Amino acid sequence: MAVTIRRLEEFDEVENFDCGDEPLNNYLKRHAWTNQEKVSIGVTYAAVDESAPRTVLGYFTLATSSVPRDRFPQKYVRGLPPYDLPLILLARLAVDKRFSGRGLGHAMIAEALKITLRVADEVGCRCIITDAYSDKAGWYARYGFLPLEGASATGPQKMFLDVRTIRRASSIDSFLPERA
Amino acid sequence: MPQAVKEKSKKAATLPAKTPTPRKTKFQADLAPSEDSMVRVLKAELQMTSNTDFLSDALALFRWAVSERKRGHRIVSESSTGERKILLFPRLERVAPEVTLPHVDVQWTDKELESLAELASGQPAEPTNALIRAMRK
Repeated sequence: MAVTIRRLEEFDEVENFDCGDEPLNNYLKRHAWTNQEKVSIGVTYAAVDESAPRTVLGYFTLATSSVPRDRFPQKYVRGLPPYDLPLILLARLAVDKRFSGRGLGHAMIAEALKITLRVADEVGCRCIITDAYSDKAGWYARYGFLPLEGASATGPQKMFLDVRTIRRASSIDSFLPERA
Repeated sequence: MPQAVKEKSKKAATLPAKTPTPRKTKFQADLAPSEDSMVRVLKAELQMTSNTDFLSDALALFRWAVSERKRGHRIVSESSTGERKILLFPRLERVAPEVTLPHVDVQWTDKELESLAELASGQPAEPTNALIRAMRK
């Protein structure tokens, strides 16, 4: 399997995509293209195999956001620069269940983090945030995402990864084996 | 030392140091006759008399255009009938980011914001092995 990750295109085949989660399937089938090209509220990246380059095997969606400085509690404001805090939102990440266990999730999060670093270099951003399903929080934690306190018991768990940590990881000339 | 001289040197010691005036840079350009005429026409239209003002305004406009493009924003002109044209200027495209992502609002609880502020204002965590693997070139 030779996987390529690129921006979602208009004639990509998404109708058979099934990650086992209806809202995530529905987003790809009904909203991802419109949100990317027409209303510009998120860019979706699709993982495709070179042998079937139109069939989406997995996807993730990114957007930027920021938190106004005056919304932070006063006691932390001193440790932050005197501007709004710019961040990247990893809004969705899903793999078609027929292709799970083949490293697609790893390939996609790696691409999402590389894009984050490029955006940070180009226009500045401080961290990447994701809304993880509680049963997936452990998977994100492997990449260093830290849970934010204050999530509702039933809702998704917001998780944080500092761009400085990502930058440090990209500068390490590692000889780690492919799998831990 | 005579009293008057003493007074003077005391006074000099208490006066704040004079800030040196920044030196102005001379700017000279070789313009083709058509460009020279364009400058004259523009200056007349904008009711400008000096080349310095002309260059200063042009610089401000160019600087704004560069900063907009750097942020990934497109520069658009809109006619009175709503027809839009996007400025495509090759030199500006050089500063445009490769990746442009749209901006969205995220809903935060107060507790989440507190937790975010605590993490963002602290020292970054060390990367995990999985992150190091993910960031390999």
